[in-house]
Amino acid sequence: MSAQRLLFSLERKTVVWRGGDNVSMKEKLAEIVGQGQVLDGRDQLEIYSWDHSLAPPRSPSYAVRPANTREVQMVVDLARQNRMPLVPVSSTVHFNGSSIPQQGGIVIDLRRMNRILEIDKLNRKVRIEPGVTWPQLQGELEGHDLMALIPLLPHRDKSALTSYLEREPALIPKFDYAEPLLTMEIVFGSGKVLRTGSACVPSALEKSAAEGVQPEGPGIDFFRLVQGAQGSMGIVTWANIKVEYLPRLNKLFFLPLNSLEEAVKPTYRIGQKMIGAECFLINNLNLAAILAEGTSKEVEKLSNELPSWTVILVLAGGPRRPEEKLAYEEEALNEIAKEASLPKVESTLPVVPDAGDRLLGMMRNSWSGEVYWKFRYKGRCQNLFFITILEQVPSFLTVIREVAAASGYSEKDIGFYIQPLENGRACHFEATFYYHDTEEDATRAHDLYADAARAVLQRGALFTRPYGLLADLVYPRATAYTTALRKVKQILDPENILSPGKLCF
Amino acid sequence: MSLHKEAYQALESILGNENISEDPAICEADLKGGSGEFIFDANAVRPACVVLPKSTEEVRDVVKIANRYRLPYIPVSTYYIGLCAPSLPDTIIIDLKRMDRLEIDEKNMYAICESGVCFSQLQAEAFKLGLQTMTPGCGSQASVVANTAVHGMGPFGYRLGSAYRRILGTEWVLPDGEVLGLGSLSFSPEDYFWGEGPGPDLRGILRGMTGPMGGLGVITRMAVKLFPFVPEPPKPSGTSPYTRLNLPTNRMKWFHLTYATPEQAVSAMYEMARSEIGTMAMTVPPLFRYIARARGKGANAFWEAWAKAKDKIDPRETIVRILLVGYTSDKQLAYEEAVLHDIATETGATIAEARPSDESWIMSADAISVYFFGGVYMPADVSLDSLNQGLKVGQSTAALKKSRTPPLGEDYGYPGWLQLQELGHSSYLEFLAFAGLEDVEQLAALSQDCVQRDIDIGAYPVYQDPTVFGPKWQDYHHIIAEVKKTFDPNGVSNPPRPMKLMLE
Amino acid sequence: MVVPLEDYRYDALSCPRCSNCKWVDHVYVRSHRFAKICPINARYGFNAYSAHGMLDMALALLDGQLDYTPGLIDVVYKCTLCGACDVRCKRNLDLEVLLVLEGLRERCAQDEAGPLPQHKAVVEKVNESHNRYGAPSQKRIQELPGAEENADILYFVGCNHSYVQKETARATARVLEASGSKFALLGAEEWCCGRPLIATGQWELARKKMEHNLDTLASYGAKTVVTSCAECYKTWKVDYPRMLKRSTEDMDYRVLHIVEHAQQSLDAGTLSFKNPVQMKVTYHDPCHLGRLSEPWIHWVGERKAFGRVEPAKTYRRGTYGVYDPPRQILNSIPGIELVEMERVREHSWCCGAGGGVMDAFKDFALWTADERLQEAESSGVETVVTACPFCCENLGEAARLARDKINVVHIAELMLKALS
Repeated sequence: MSAQRLLFSLERKTVVWRGGDNVSMKEKLAEIVGQGQVLDGRDQLEIYSWDHSLAPPRSPSYAVRPANTREVQMVVDLARQNRMPLVPVSSTVHFNGSSIPQQGGIVIDLRRMNRILEIDKLNRKVRIEPGVTWPQLQGELEGHDLMALIPLLPHRDKSALTSYLEREPALIPKFDYAEPLLTMEIVFGSGKVLRTGSACVPSALEKSAAEGVQPEGPGIDFFRLVQGAQGSMGIVTWANIKVEYLPRLNKLFFLPLNSLEEAVKPTYRIGQKMIGAECFLINNLNLAAILAEGTSKEVEKLSNELPSWTVILVLAGGPRRPEEKLAYEEEALNEIAKEASLPKVESTLPVVPDAGDRLLGMMRNSWSGEVYWKFRYKGRCQNLFFITILEQVPSFLTVIREVAAASGYSEKDIGFYIQPLENGRACHFEATFYYHDTEEDATRAHDLYADAARAVLQRGALFTRPYGLLADLVYPRATAYTTALRKVKQILDPENILSPGKLCF
Repeated sequence: MSLHKEAYQALESILGNENISEDPAICEADLKGGSGEFIFDANAVRPACVVLPKSTEEVRDVVKIANRYRLPYIPVSTYYIGLCAPSLPDTIIIDLKRMDRLEIDEKNMYAICESGVCFSQLQAEAFKLGLQTMTPGCGSQASVVANTAVHGMGPFGYRLGSAYRRILGTEWVLPDGEVLGLGSLSFSPEDYFWGEGPGPDLRGILRGMTGPMGGLGVITRMAVKLFPFVPEPPKPSGTSPYTRLNLPTNRMKWFHLTYATPEQAVSAMYEMARSEIGTMAMTVPPLFRYIARARGKGANAFWEAWAKAKDKIDPRETIVRILLVGYTSDKQLAYEEAVLHDIATETGATIAEARPSDESWIMSADAISVYFFGGVYMPADVSLDSLNQGLKVGQSTAALKKSRTPPLGEDYGYPGWLQLQELGHSSYLEFLAFAGLEDVEQLAALSQDCVQRDIDIGAYPVYQDPTVFGPKWQDYHHIIAEVKKTFDPNGVSNPPRPMKLMLE
Repeated sequence: MVVPLEDYRYDALSCPRCSNCKWVDHVYVRSHRFAKICPINARYGFNAYSAHGMLDMALALLDGQLDYTPGLIDVVYKCTLCGACDVRCKRNLDLEVLLVLEGLRERCAQDEAGPLPQHKAVVEKVNESHNRYGAPSQKRIQELPGAEENADILYFVGCNHSYVQKETARATARVLEASGSKFALLGAEEWCCGRPLIATGQWELARKKMEHNLDTLASYGAKTVVTSCAECYKTWKVDYPRMLKRSTEDMDYRVLHIVEHAQQSLDAGTLSFKNPVQMKVTYHDPCHLGRLSEPWIHWVGERKAFGRVEPAKTYRRGTYGVYDPPRQILNSIPGIELVEMERVREHSWCCGAGGGVMDAFKDFALWTADERLQEAESSGVETVVTACPFCCENLGEAARLARDKINVVHIAELMLKALS
């Protein structure tokens, strides 16, 4: 086999290979990313064939770890030429099945692209590559008195950019401008590289007047098309995201409640009064999984001692006059509690006196413990989540409990987390089914998950992130949307190489 | 020009003869588009007919007939944009005015608007519920749906987010007549509360900086976000032309901060944003202060005062106008006021509380005053990116404008509207220029100067002709062309928007 | 021509077609339901049915781009010339919107494209019988309580109050009498003020009425004309000076509506209301007494650069219409509870009768009136008080047809009830 020469330019969409067809795919990939960055052994690929969801394992043929956009584009070109599926992943831990290749192919693992490229304090944004994890990002930003808006205690290996692309809800619902994603660089399935929004101007990152803060355009809002796409529209090689000031003065409050119904009104009022930073509802099991020290037994014990439900609200001082801001917000919070005839809000939980301080220390970063909090109770979990409105939350709780009871699953083994969005105009509802790592438990959890998904969908749950079997439930009901989505996919990924088999593709 | 006879008959049978007209006089009123003819309507062609559908089904059927007979159509609502002007014969104007239903979900803070609902209607209803909407810079007579789909910028975007952030469930008649629901509406009829997904978000092709400009079908219904507001909204008083909203001063106050230079003003605006205070914050060009002072007195009063302005106005002085709102309580207002004073002191501003009233922004009643002095005004440059970009572009545009003055109208002081958006994460610059009717080509020329300058310095404007910017910006126009061809295969939805399809 | 369309070409050309002319001043919009201000646009929907539509048509006519079409005639004559669009536009701009609309009418008449047959029927009656009903002049009201042979005040009764709603004339007379004001009547010498002719663009015909009325006034030596009809009021105050190319202030008389007279008398202490009238009412501002009634200011000039006018011009923006006097009167009658509708004063929704619309497009006039009555109902009242017989007539008929819980009454009759 003669040596190959590779011709490419970043602007050209095609890669021309010299030499015969008998060059193996692995060799071609190695030419692009380097020998040590191509994996094809069964053991090596095993980590890409499964994740922490109940999605069936499927293996790729290869995994590659590119170092930069150029290499990503070249891999895309190669995949296109060979009609090979390409599944982008960034984190090394996944919970939803979206990183598992459905039709074999190549996993393009972006972990090596893990630079924080630029922190812009003035415009309050940071530019990151997909391999940047949450602890890496938050740690760096903290030194600048900044923070990114983070979901609830993500795994420490979780890619921050992936969280945003997957539209994971942030703990702080006070910003009415919704998601923090700004401009980005995308390699589409067509091989085209595009910088979106105001990053598209030439030299946008260096000397141009535009500073890459405007996500819209050019022409259409590309940033929306890659969100929730599970890697099926394009591969994001970097993105600008909004960051906010890091409050130094914080006070965490607990509203302990016996029922979820009691939580609805005060949660609405918190949003309407526009107070607070972090704000969410959590049930005893999930809170125990976060706060318990030690083993699964400790989690169970604490879960029995904690209030059934707790609203957790952080009041944060502003960058200026923090005490004054905190004071008026606390006054408003007390009025809300009084209106709702709730007990006085507390800064502690009787059974965990240091819960407030501990949570404050945790919530603006990823989980730091050795065992991820969602694995502490039974070792495995399956998350079912959707978007709804706060007043519907109790009825969804009832539905899930009924389905669980029908399948013999104890409701004590279900964790619940409700995240208000945008001052409470909607919420993310998440049920976590905990189970042991046995075949029997896994099967029961899977069936429960599927039945619960059908039941809540029937009730009006909005699956904006339809992973796995959820896609099979959702897209047949959204036929016009599916048709339109496929048309857009056809434009951006005409050979359907990116994550085929996901969503409706 | 009369429409294809069978097409007209088909339309008439759908709409009823009261809701369709091909009378030349009726059609004449839909010839030029809004926002001043001068620039936009030079090649306008009188439409062949105007139709007034009442429902999404009627819109769908009209669009299907247009496709069948290959008749261009343009969806219009409250008309105040040049994109409404037809440029091809046989154009059908689909006037959505009769679709004017409005429903508000108070608790979950959103409003479902049909295309005929204007912002002041929505704001008035929102106020009753302790909520508010954004009002756009072009005025509250604009359609909520149309404005949010195309542009939707205004100073409220500082606190409430830019227009594209405010779109929830949307009902959309695609260019070929298929009806698409976005977000929660995609699989749950009549459910408008959320705008994302499922999966990839097709609001992505609904917008872009100015959206497809009517070139991708007709939005018939859109849910938009509402936001918490103060419990007692501002109350109107005064007799025209001196009408105003009186602010509840325990919850809302305007302040003016005067800076010696635009750079200082921008620096202070960044700090206000970082401190998370304010609901609107913008620089105010002296021209508009003089227009406001001449309210009710006539344009001559404006011109007399403006003629003396040159000697009175410091060319670099910049005023930042900021509205503080105590959403949570009167104590929030007090807090923000204290912070603002701190910032003013640190940044060397002269600070003064302004009149506790609003003529302009909360109901956006003053927008049309841009035409007050007579002649023509035009946004010579509109850009949306960082405050720094706004500053650079504004200064550059001022120089370009000066080079064409006269005959363009004289401007003194810092002449751009520079507004903070999204708590300072971005900003919006609108730079207006004006001329007499006989010199409108100079305005068009200035606009071209700005386009070239944007290319030269790497600025990001709002108005993006894909055929001009595409070759400079990674050929994105190829994708836009594909989107247009895919969704509008017959090329009938407001051709040639969003771009001339030159890429056959 | 009184309103030569060419003189307003610049105004038509400068319209930015913002559509503000269709909406209540945004500052004053209080609901989704009652946010519109233009009856033709609210009813018919096409942009042509609006001020900006008609400005475009006017321009096209002037430039030879448009002929008279059925659509043009329909739009032009369905407009009540209520002036709401003019006030709206002039909140922010210096454009003579209403003058363009009136100019269109006069031009239509000049080119014999209008007015409509129904208008011509009325015009014929006015020409021959000096009233819009074709009734004999001798049947005009000749006597009223308190009337004298000669007085400083001439009560100009108007056609409607002379022939149809005579009780209002009697009530007006009683109010004048109660305030100690002597007044005279013209009786058969009173000719139609000319409103139906002006409304349909036939100014030269109206001039004949004006000349007669002014001569008659002079012969009586009266210096003040009081009227109970808003249309007569506006015609005397605004349109007569216009035809004479003079300003209102330069005329030899002043005009007062009975509400102005009553308000002045209340302030002077020469009138008081002692009898309680238990009623929850709302007040409908007639266009001709409200926003259209500002004194006329004669101006001749030209446009310079940037459309500047030389000499400077004072624009009539509806600021100084007669809004307060009727409200003061109602608030001074014991037992009356005055509740305002949403669209009031200079933003009042037209009753639908004006501009010849009641004559030519009865259904549309009643539709417009019904819109107003719905607004009254929503404010929780059962009585609409107004100060114009044509508002009374049109609103009253609409009420009888569809909203029989609503009463419509002229303010003079309420004042009469309140007099001891």
